[in-house]
Parts: sequence; C-alpha cells; structure tokens
Amino acid sequence: MRKILNLILLTITLGLIVTACGGNNTANTAKPESSAADEPAANEPVKNEKLIIYTNANSDGRGEWLIEQAKAAGFEIELVGAGGADATARLIAEKSNPVADVVFGLNNMLYESLKKENVLVKYVPAWAGEVEEGLNDPEGYYHGLVKQAILLGYNPTSYTAETAPKDWTDLYNNPEFHGKYEAPTLLGQVTPRLVVAGILTRYRDEKGEYGISQAGWDEIKKLYDNGVGAIEGEDFYANLASGKTPLGTVVSGTLDAKEEQYGVKAGTVSPEVGVPMIVEQAAIINGTKKMETAERFIEWIGSSEVQGKFAAQFNSMPANTKAVAQANDAVRELYSSLKAQALEWGFIADHIGDWVEKIELQIMK
Amino acid sequence: MKATKIRTAGSPVNGSAFILYGLIAWFVITFLIYPNINVYYEIFFSDGNFSFEAVNKLLSSDRAMRSLYNSFILAISLMVTVNIVGVALVLIVDYFDIKGAKILRLGYFTTLIYSGVVLVSGYKFVYGESGYMTKLFANLFPSFDTTWFHGYWAVLFVMTFACTSNHVLFLSNAIRKIDFQTVEAAKNMGGSTFYILWRVVLPVLKPTMFALTILLFLTGLAATSAPLILGGTEFQTITPMILTFSKSLASRDLAALLALILGLSTLVLLTIMIRFEKNGNFISVSKVKSVLVKQKINSKIGNIAVHLIAYFLFLIYIIPVLLIVIFSFTDAQSISTATLNISRFTFDNYIQVFSSMAAFKPYLVSILYAAGASIAVVALALTASRILHKYKNKWTNFLEYSLLIPWMLPSTLIAIGLIVTYSTPKMLIGNTVLVGTVWMLFLAYVIIHIPFTLRMVKASFFSLDNNLEDAAKNLGAKPFYTFRKVLLPIILPSTLAVLALNFNGILADYDLTVFLYHPLYQPLGIVIKNSTDAQAVADTKALTLVYSVILMIISAVILYFVYGRKSKS
Repeated sequence: MRKILNLILLTITLGLIVTACGGNNTANTAKPESSAADEPAANEPVKNEKLIIYTNANSDGRGEWLIEQAKAAGFEIELVGAGGADATARLIAEKSNPVADVVFGLNNMLYESLKKENVLVKYVPAWAGEVEEGLNDPEGYYHGLVKQAILLGYNPTSYTAETAPKDWTDLYNNPEFHGKYEAPTLLGQVTPRLVVAGILTRYRDEKGEYGISQAGWDEIKKLYDNGVGAIEGEDFYANLASGKTPLGTVVSGTLDAKEEQYGVKAGTVSPEVGVPMIVEQAAIINGTKKMETAERFIEWIGSSEVQGKFAAQFNSMPANTKAVAQANDAVRELYSSLKAQALEWGFIADHIGDWVEKIELQIMK
Repeated sequence: MKATKIRTAGSPVNGSAFILYGLIAWFVITFLIYPNINVYYEIFFSDGNFSFEAVNKLLSSDRAMRSLYNSFILAISLMVTVNIVGVALVLIVDYFDIKGAKILRLGYFTTLIYSGVVLVSGYKFVYGESGYMTKLFANLFPSFDTTWFHGYWAVLFVMTFACTSNHVLFLSNAIRKIDFQTVEAAKNMGGSTFYILWRVVLPVLKPTMFALTILLFLTGLAATSAPLILGGTEFQTITPMILTFSKSLASRDLAALLALILGLSTLVLLTIMIRFEKNGNFISVSKVKSVLVKQKINSKIGNIAVHLIAYFLFLIYIIPVLLIVIFSFTDAQSISTATLNISRFTFDNYIQVFSSMAAFKPYLVSILYAAGASIAVVALALTASRILHKYKNKWTNFLEYSLLIPWMLPSTLIAIGLIVTYSTPKMLIGNTVLVGTVWMLFLAYVIIHIPFTLRMVKASFFSLDNNLEDAAKNLGAKPFYTFRKVLLPIILPSTLAVLALNFNGILADYDLTVFLYHPLYQPLGIVIKNSTDAQAVADTKALTLVYSVILMIISAVILYFVYGRKSKS
C-alpha cells in the first residue's frame, strides 16, 4: 500500500516537474524578444523567430517535409495540425490573443470565415501574381498554394464514361442512380459541406431561405432522399470499389493512393458547370508579434520553387502557374480536363452554417 | 497547484483547512462556473437579449425530436441490460466458484482497453454485413438477410457488452467487501443461493450500482459511435448531432441547448438517486470482516448452466478484440471486406507508425498529460468527497452540483469557453493568460473528468464505516493521518480504478485536445486523427487499427500496474 502511495506521489512530482519545464518553454516561445532570437540581431538585420503555424495539411509526411525544407531555408517552424474546421474554430476562439503566426492549408470557405472574424491580416506576397486567376482572395488576405478538386467518382465496372452521371444533379434526378450513391451526410466534415454548397449555390436567391430559392432546397432534399447515408468510420472508396455504393464524392489528391489500396481506379465526372475546386491557401494571423518573419515565410512557401518541389514530391497540383511544370503528368492531365465551378466563397462562408443546420434538422431523415 | 492542495490537506491546523476550502472554491468558480457561464451567455444572449429561436428550431425538427427520444430509450434500456450483464460478470468472476475464472476475467476486462469507433468495428467484423457470424448464418440459411445487424437492437447489443467496464472494476471492489460470515450464516439458516444473492449480496452492491446506473444513463445519452455506425436511419441518436452543431459557429446555440437538456435530465436522475442514497443504510453490520470465499453452486444443472453462460460471454467479449489485433496486420481492402488472407499480412503499417524517433514524442506527451491530469482530478475528487462526506449544508450542496457542470456542455464548447475566457489576462488567475500555455490542456482534462471521478469516489466514500474514523480519532490520530492511514486504504481500490479509467480516456482524446494543445507538445490523439483522417492518403483503415492496438497495449499496462497487481496481493 505504501509503495503505491509513494508511486503516486512520485508521479505527481514528476508530472509537475515535466509540465513546469514545458511552462518555461512556453514562456520562451511566447516572448521571443527576450530569447536567443535577439542575439544575432546585432550583426544580422534579419529577424528569425520561431513561427507557430496552424495547418490541416501536415499528414502523410507533408508536415515533416515542410519543416525540413523550411529549416534549410533558415526558418524555424512548429506545426499545429488540426482538421480544417477545428483549426478554424480554434483560431477564431483565440483571436483576442493569438498563438499562431501563420495558417496554411485550409480552403477558401474557411479562410473567408477567418477573414470575417478579423483573424487574418492583409499581406500580398510577390508570387500572388503567379497564381492562377480567381484563386487568390481579391482583397489580399490569403493566397493560393495547392489545388484540390472535389469530384464525383464512379466504379468503372458498374458504369462507363457514357452511362455514368454527368453531374451531381443526375444522381437524384435520374431514378437509375437512386440508392446507388453516397449522400453527403457527415456534415461535420468539410468535403460533404462543399458538395452541398456546390449544388445549393446554383439556386442563389436573396429572398429565399438562407439565400437559396425553394427550388434549391427541393433539389437538396431529393439528394438526401435518394442517396445512401455515409457511415462514420467507413471509407467511401471501399464501397465504391465493392460496388455497394458505386457513386460518390472523391477528392483528387487521394485518388492514386486509394486506387493502390483497393485495386480499383475510380472514374471521375466533369460536369458542365465545373467541379468545386478548393484551394489550400496561406495567410498571416492578425496580431502576430513576428510579422516580419511571417511575411518572409509566406514569400518562401508560396514561391514557385517550393510549390514545384512540393508538387513533385506529393503528387499535388500547384496553384502557382510557374510551378505547374514540375507537377506529375497524371495530375496535370486530370486537371486539364477539369473546369473550376464558379463559387462565391464569401457567400458560402456566410451561409454554410445555416445550410448545414437546416439540412440536419429538416432535410435529412 | 495540486501539490499545495495536498500539502495543505496534511496540516491539522484549522487555518490551513480554510485555505484548502478557499482553493476548492477558487477552482470551482474559476474553471467550472465562470468559463461555462461565459459560453452560455455568449450563445444565448449574444445580441443582448435571450431568444427562444433555438427551442423552436428543435421542436419543429422531426429528426431532432426522434433522435432525442431514441437517446432516452437507449439510455433507459442500457440501465437495465448493462446492470444485468455487469452483475452477472462480477458474480462469475468474484462470487461463484467457476473454473478458469482468471482467464474469464481477462476477457471481461477487454472493454477497458478499447472503445468508440474501433470497438464497434470489432463487433462489425463478427456480426456486420461481411462479418464471420453473418457468413455462418448465411451459409446455414440461404435466405438470411446479411444486413441484419443494424438499428436499435444492434446498438443495444453492442453497447450492453461495451459498457460493462465500470461494473467489472467498481462492482468487483464492492463485492469483495461482503462479509463472508454473513453469507455463511445465511447458508446455515437454509438460505438458497438466490435468496442469499438477493438479501445479502445485492444490498452491499447497492451504493455502487446506484452510482453506475447514473453513469449508464449518461453513457446511453452520449452514445455516438454505436448509433452512428449501426443505428442506420431508423435509430439515430442526438449526440452525433450535438457534435456536428458544436463545431459550427452558427449552430452552437442548438448544441448548447441539447447538451443542457441531456445534462439536466442526468441531474434529475442523480437527485433521485441521492435521495435513495440518503435513505438507504448500506453499511455492513459486521465489524470484524472476513474475506469472501468463492461459492460453489450446489445444483449440478445450475453449475453447468452458469459455466456455459460464463464462457459464452467470454467469447462475445474476446472475439472482437482478437479480430482487431489480427486485422491490424492487414490492409484496407481486407479490413473493409472482413476477409483474412495470409498473402495480405504485413508489418508495414507498424513500421510506418514507428519509423522515426519523433514518432515517440507524442506518446510521452500524452502519457504525462494523462498521468498528471488523472492524478490531479482524483486528488480533487477525494478532497471534495471528504468535504461532502463530513458536512451537509447549502454550501456543500452547491459544491456538489457545481462539480457536475461539465456534464451540461459538450467538450468542444468547454474548450471554447476556456479559450475565450482565458485568452486575455484575468484577475481570477493572477492576471495571466492561459491560452498558449501547457496548463490549458491539463486543466481541461481535469475539468471534464471531474463529474465521473466525483461520482465514483464519492460512492466509495459513502460506503465507509464511520466508526473506523471515530476510532482513529479517539486514539488521537490527526485528521490527515486518519485520512491517509485509515480511510484511504479502504477506498484506494476504487480510486485507483478511476485513475486508470481517466488515464485511458485522456490518452487518445481528440475532440477537446485539438483546441487546446500546445504547439511544442503534440499529443497522441492529434497524431492519430491526422494520419487516419479521410484526407490522408496512407492506408488509414489499417493505421486506425494499428494505433488502436498500441493504445490497447498502453492501457493494459497501465491497468496492470495501477490495478492488476493490487487485486492479486
């Protein structure tokens, strides 16, 4: 008995010591002015403080790669990884005393929310002009890095390019596809939200409920009524591959890996209106105490050189037109056949919360 | 902070007792009341006046009302089914003389080391559409519907077996407190096995069962994974909706309102239970307790039947775990089709998880947080229970209900409340800023584990025999000495069990952690989510299982060290 008590006391002390050490480190990162960063300032005009960077794009080794490349370029960075929606909520909650200096990887919709909440500070990097037109924030708060397309995928043994649906609207308007597609029911995630936005924004009507006409809501209802609900913990691609639900949403960046894992290459649809093209962006946090370093980091990460290297390494599609040449052929080919759907992200960001709420409460069964 | 608390508890001087009470009051006001009231205020009064819009929205939604109703149905069903299975497990392992009880116990303990989505997918490997049991049935009866395992009954089945963790820990502790002489006396007077169970054994288990029943109710209301995966459209529950809403700025009012409804109904049940606790006299009459000897079942048929049930339950418990371990060595395709093929076995996923030294840091961070926070919350609950046990007035009532506040809000909103409140200097915490420090996450872990810990620690406190304390006092022992030498050893088994459960709960948490973790100390839950997220291109299905197996191992080791060795000695 005494042994156990001693053990507990020991653990408490250890815990306190370790957390106390952590506390000291925090003090250091929180007040960089007083730490080592000052020392070289005398003979070196460039300030180089450690940057705290929030991102949702650090999985699959991307985070480690970036830290390494940044280090080689003279940056010391710490990544705070979190899902896109969670990172946004955290940034908004922390806005009166921000922890982060830079945020990258989130999509336009989330950046619009951040901008609306005054979380971002305006900064236009030198490479902004190299980015494909229409991808940057026209107001200059955030700028594009990597393109991702949200696609309608189909199982190639169930459908051919001719028999597959031509657009999302075909899924629920053509009885042939009823019960064959996965409906975007997991609305806590970003991708299903964008699918919904891609359909609803076609029915914009300032007088309608939450900016959408009744016809739009009727369409969405049909989408949910005739689809199969997504199930938490299941990978949709597995159901596409097995033919259980041969139609549904796939994200361009993951297609290669999924094909390898399930042995089925999904066909993708190019609707006439285009596909929701989400662009991973980069921006500086309003209230950062390391503005100068943050600016230099933004200049670095979005440059065609870094984006090109990244694209070659991770099979992605750069937003920077000068970096496209370094992207892999298959990726370039896919994107050459895709058209970006014209979406007004500010409008979507303003309403998506209400849309999701309405769908959850009144449309889903 | 915790250290000073314990030190002040050690002093017998009245002044330090006041400091202790002051500290508790400060903690309650600073971390339980203020930030959470802040959240409610922001949500419901943000534009200056209260609006009933959220209530109307919910009332006009068929789906919300149906889900709410289903949640209550599930909660009430679980109160019955889990108690039945839980008591059966405890009787099999600790009361009756069953061959192989030690191995059986290991099987029944498996729910302690895994939970959530992974546990449910373990059951799906057996009963799901392509599960082994389903294939067997389909072979026997060609017309068998392979999609049979969904809806209310599937959810209830999985949750009944998944939620017995607290029973096998706390009820076993309680059953060991039964006085063997009373059982013998009852037997000598001709009491049947069933009569003795009903009149001698059950009354001793009652305080613990009351505490567990409240937790079951809450577990049923908070059910997420099982209904999401197995419920289908016909049996949806409310908590998944609360989670979605709490992450959306526009719908936080709905999330808060729904959580409030669930929290308040738990509180109503709790108040009723506390009434019962007060009225009941559960303390064993015997003063010189003797250790329980396992009871042989005399009836031959009865004996065989109990053995059969015991091993049948064992299989139900053990097969999903085994399948998860086995499938963690395969790939996404094998997992999604529930097929095993020797050519698809691989160590790649394990190698990937441990490929770099940097991969180990999150384990250390999470283990330290889990250890620190679970010890702190137990220390806090012990102190609070001691106060609640000693005094009974409006202040202690206030204390007790204040400590249950975390049940009133989803954890996402608790996290947001802490950030919004403590991202600017506040007098309550000495004009410092908490956001961006390592303490933020530590405090949050402590806060959300208070209600559960308090319920369990308090239950064991109230089964204490007051005479022991009086005797120690009469012999001149100082209060802290009495507490440490007389009371603590008796409540220690339950306290350690709570400690282990909290530890395991914190280890891989994501929902709360993601909002509060410090940039330099990335916890395990974040790493796991990151590499198994839908956007990741790695074999996320396999990695999920690999991480689950690693967590199972850590949890099992913790349970063994904190709890297993003790129960043997």
